[in-house]
Amino acid sequence: MSNDGSSGEGGSNFDKARRNFLRGVGVGAAAAVATPAWGGETFQDAFADFFQKDYRRMSAEEIEAALERIERRAKRRYDVEIECENTPPQQGVVFGYAINISRCKGYRDCVHACVKENNLGRDSQIQYIRVLQMDQGDFNLEHSDHYYDPETVPVEGKHYLPVQCMQCDDPPCVKACPVEATWMEPDGIVVVDYDWCIGCRYCMAACPYWARHFNWTDPEIPAEEINTDTHYLGNRPRPRGVVEKCHFCIQRTRKGRQPACMEACPTGARIFGNLLDPDSEIRYVLANKQVFRLKEDLGTEPKFWYFSD
Amino acid sequence: MSRGRNKIRRRSGEHSQTVRPDRANRPSSVLLTSLGGLLFGLGLLIANAQEVTDELKPLRFEGYPNAREAAIVPRKDDLFFYPCNQCHASMEANPEIRQLNAMHSVELDHGLGRIWCTSCHNLENRNYLSTLLDEPVDFDQAYLVCGGCHANRHKDWLFGAHGKRVENWQGVRTLYNCTHCHDPHSPAIKARAPKAAPPVRAGLKLERATEHVKSRVWDSEEEHEEQ
Repeated sequence: MSNDGSSGEGGSNFDKARRNFLRGVGVGAAAAVATPAWGGETFQDAFADFFQKDYRRMSAEEIEAALERIERRAKRRYDVEIECENTPPQQGVVFGYAINISRCKGYRDCVHACVKENNLGRDSQIQYIRVLQMDQGDFNLEHSDHYYDPETVPVEGKHYLPVQCMQCDDPPCVKACPVEATWMEPDGIVVVDYDWCIGCRYCMAACPYWARHFNWTDPEIPAEEINTDTHYLGNRPRPRGVVEKCHFCIQRTRKGRQPACMEACPTGARIFGNLLDPDSEIRYVLANKQVFRLKEDLGTEPKFWYFSD
Repeated sequence: MSRGRNKIRRRSGEHSQTVRPDRANRPSSVLLTSLGGLLFGLGLLIANAQEVTDELKPLRFEGYPNAREAAIVPRKDDLFFYPCNQCHASMEANPEIRQLNAMHSVELDHGLGRIWCTSCHNLENRNYLSTLLDEPVDFDQAYLVCGGCHANRHKDWLFGAHGKRVENWQGVRTLYNCTHCHDPHSPAIKARAPKAAPPVRAGLKLERATEHVKSRVWDSEEEHEEQ
C-alpha cells in the first residue's frame, strides 16, 4: 500500500531489484529497525503482539495486557478511545435465536444496525446478515436474491428470509480450522480469535451458510461511527487478513442486552433468549410454533430457528 | 423499535388488569383542563418530572397460567389528544354510527366494516377504552382491548412470540404495547422503502437469479423446457 508506483517507473533495473530485495528483508527481519515498520506501534507492543498466545491459553494478566494493546492500537488507527472487554459467558446460559419469517418484511434495518454495532469495514463490504428475497412458494436458496432494491418492501409475491451465522452446536467451521483460532464458547456462541487466525479461509469453505467473511483489506470505519463498546471475541477492530462472523453481539448479549439486529427489527420478527431457561421467549417459540432450521440435513445442529404463523 | 430506549419513562404500575376509573380525576388532567391549551406543554413537563421518580412495575397477567411478569411501555404520553375528556367532558355522547370529520378524521381500516369507534372506545368516559363487555380500560392497557378479538396474538405477544421486547433479553421484561407498532385504526403494517442493498463485490456482476429461473413444484414440464 505504501509502495507508490510513480517513482518506480523512472528507476533503473538495479534500483528495482534493490528495492524488491530490501522489501523482502524488511518483511522478514525488520525486528529492531525504525518505528514506521510497526505502523506506529511501540516495539514493546509489536513484540508482545507477535508472541501473544491463543485466547484460551492466555492467563488473566496476559488477556488484560492484550486488551490494553487492542485499545492502544485502536487509538493509533482510528484516534478513538475504545473499551475492549472480555466479559465471560454466564453460567446456565446457551443462546438461541428464532425468526418469524411471516413478520420479516425485508426492510434490512437489522443489516445496517449490525454493520454499525460490530464495527464492520464500510469499504470491505462485509455484512453478517443477508436478507434473502424469494418467490412465494419457492424455498430454493439458489433462486434467492439478497440485492433486491425495490421502491417499497414487501414486494407482492415475495417472501424474505434473513440468514446469518446459525451458531451451530456442531460447527463444521470449528472442525476445519487448522490452528484452533475458532471455537464454541460455553454459552453456545462460535467465536474467532482474530489475533490467532492465520487467514487460510478453510472455515469459510466449511460453512454451509455463507456466514463467514474474510477481511481482504484493513476495515475502514469513520472514526465518529466506531462503536467503542467492544469485546475481545466480538466487535473489536479487526486486522486485515482474518476471518470474522456474527457472534450474536457477544459484547451486548453477555451483559443481558439484545443483539443489535433484534433491537433494530421494527416488526419484532426476531426472538432471542436463553435455551436453558424454560420460561424464555425462545423456549415458548420452540414449544408452540412450527419451527424449522436451514439445511438441517447437514447435521450441524444450528441454534437458529425459523417459523411462520 | 429504536425510539423505545429514550422514551420509556418510569411510572407507577397502571398495568394490572384491574381498571381504575377514578384515574380520570388525576391532578394533571384537572390542571390541564383548567389552564387550557397554552399551558399544555408546561403541564406535560411537570407530569414527566413526576413519572421519572416512580418505577415501571412488571405485573402478571392472570388470564393465562404460567404467564411471565411483564412491564408494558406506557402509551398515553404519545397520544396527542389525551386526556380526551378535556373536550369530551363537555360534549354529549353520540352513539350513532357515522363518518367522523373535524378532529378525528380517521379512516377506519380495521375489522372490514364490522366495528366502529365505540367497539374499542368507552362511550361514557372518553379517557378510557372499552372491552367487549363494555368495561373501561386504560389507554396504557390497550392490549386488553386488542386481545378481546385477537386472543391468539395476545397470548403470543405476552409469551414472547409476537411483538417486541425492549432492549434486553435478561432482567425486567418490558414489552411494547400493541398500539406502538400497529395503528389501531389501520393495523396492517405499511410497506416502506428498504435500507440500502449490499454492494456488489468489485469485479463481480450482479445476476438476479430470481428473474431468469422459475422452478416451482407446480410448474409444468413444458414451461421448464422453454426456459
